[in-house]
Amino acid sequence: MPKIMVVDDEASIRMLYREEFEDEHYDVVEAEDGNGLLERIETESPDVIVLDIKMAAYDGLDLLQEIRQKFQELPVIISSAYGAYKGDYKTLAADYYVVKSSDLSELKQKVKKALEGVVPPKKG
Amino acid sequence: MIVNVSSEARSGEDRPVTPRDWIEKNPQRVEQADVVVGIPSFNEADCIPFVAEQAAIGLKTYFSDYRCVLINCDNASKDNTREAFLSVDAGVPKIYLSTPPGVRGKGNNFRNLFQKSVDLGARAIVVVDADLRSITPRWIKNLGEPLLQDYGYVAPIYIRHKYDGTITNHLAYPFSRALYGRRIRQPIGGDFGFSGKLAAVYLESDLWDEYVSLFGIDIWMTTLAINSPFPVAQAFLGGPKVHRTKDPAATLGPMFVHVISVMFRLMERFQDTWEKVQWSKPTPIFGFGLGDPDTPPPVQVNEERLHSEFVAGFRRNEALYRRVFPEDVFGKVQEIAGLSFDQFELPSNLWAKIVYDFALAFYRLEADRDALIESFVPLYFGRTGSYVRSTQGIQLRAVEDYIEEQCLVFEETKPYLVERWKEIQEG
Repeated sequence: MPKIMVVDDEASIRMLYREEFEDEHYDVVEAEDGNGLLERIETESPDVIVLDIKMAAYDGLDLLQEIRQKFQELPVIISSAYGAYKGDYKTLAADYYVVKSSDLSELKQKVKKALEGVVPPKKG
Repeated sequence: MIVNVSSEARSGEDRPVTPRDWIEKNPQRVEQADVVVGIPSFNEADCIPFVAEQAAIGLKTYFSDYRCVLINCDNASKDNTREAFLSVDAGVPKIYLSTPPGVRGKGNNFRNLFQKSVDLGARAIVVVDADLRSITPRWIKNLGEPLLQDYGYVAPIYIRHKYDGTITNHLAYPFSRALYGRRIRQPIGGDFGFSGKLAAVYLESDLWDEYVSLFGIDIWMTTLAINSPFPVAQAFLGGPKVHRTKDPAATLGPMFVHVISVMFRLMERFQDTWEKVQWSKPTPIFGFGLGDPDTPPPVQVNEERLHSEFVAGFRRNEALYRRVFPEDVFGKVQEIAGLSFDQFELPSNLWAKIVYDFALAFYRLEADRDALIESFVPLYFGRTGSYVRSTQGIQLRAVEDYIEEQCLVFEETKPYLVERWKEIQEG
């Protein structure tokens, strides 16, 4: 079962995503901020990360760069209440950017796409 | 001072460059280096001193623990580019390399750079355009440091005016991203880095041809890098690229034919890879934290000319387009060519099919490929004109959304290409 790690400081969001994705037969783990996040990714081995941007003590876009540099192929989907952050070049390190909505269909579609994304291993 | 001029170089004949067939001036007798900054040039005497100075400061500031050298790889410029470069008081050793007189081409300059870098044992090679006005020392850091962390290739991300880099925005970026599954935002940026190991791969490649030796070199390097064993990254350079920009409606020159021909030709070699790629993925990005970037200078566009070139080009090439496109695509292109300037629009979903149909036609044809790519130019003008119209009044970062949407269209349309490619092979 694919595993999603939801990184968001709002408990209500984490709960909503857990319920919705578990209904779709995903395994869900939660992180409420960036504290020890890279280590948790290492131990939990999620297949995709759904990452908030504005968290109280952490900037999700900075976390994104750290995740991307350490886990180059791990899909990361930004899920933010603010579409304005699309203007930040740091978002280019994410696989997709989804503006938060009560309708999760776009987020689910992007998660599915991220899991389908196949780049053949490099030869040599 | 070492001056090496092979006997063949003195002849001035027009011929492809062969290994170490260069004119070299190496006043400090550099024989080994860890970090190289290469500056390819042809008649850049007025610009190259500034670029060399900034690159030298970058090397001294950020790579002071490494053996560094600046290398100007020139095409035997006649405007004193060599003297202008060598007279820069850089505080870093300099080497001047040139192709022999009569041997032109940016790609040939790069081939000399690959060879010299391998000869020096370089681990990291950063390349910057000789006509840059916006380069800062930090560019050298951001493009070079990842190479010392075992990345093989580092492409730039810089702020460009929404009408600068239209070949990149509408062809090189969406096409290479959809095919090879890696989002290199500026695949023909002109300022990038590669490792010594990748330089050796480039030297050993049997994919070199005339157009690679000319303006096709950038897309060739990026495509081979993506398909090499080495990881690729991007570096945010923090500011706008300020160089000699051109109205996209102006004459394209040979660059278009070289870039697109190389792009299409490489598909045959890497077919096993791109047929399997589903959706694209981002790369690590280095170099943030430079503060808010400046706004790039404006680029003027002659929209009416783009439209008129598209319409005239359609009429001129109609018979060829009927052979390139399936009926439905031809019909749509024909319809758009009949629209007035005020009404015309060439949307991205049609544009993706046009590009893929041209790639397929290129694959089918052994002869007349140049004529095929020349006939592509009016369609590119049409797409550019439509894009200019659609993005007027839109801020730069919102335009990135537009480009991103076009890339997603290319990815979603890719099965169209894969299916028809297989039909050609089986046919």
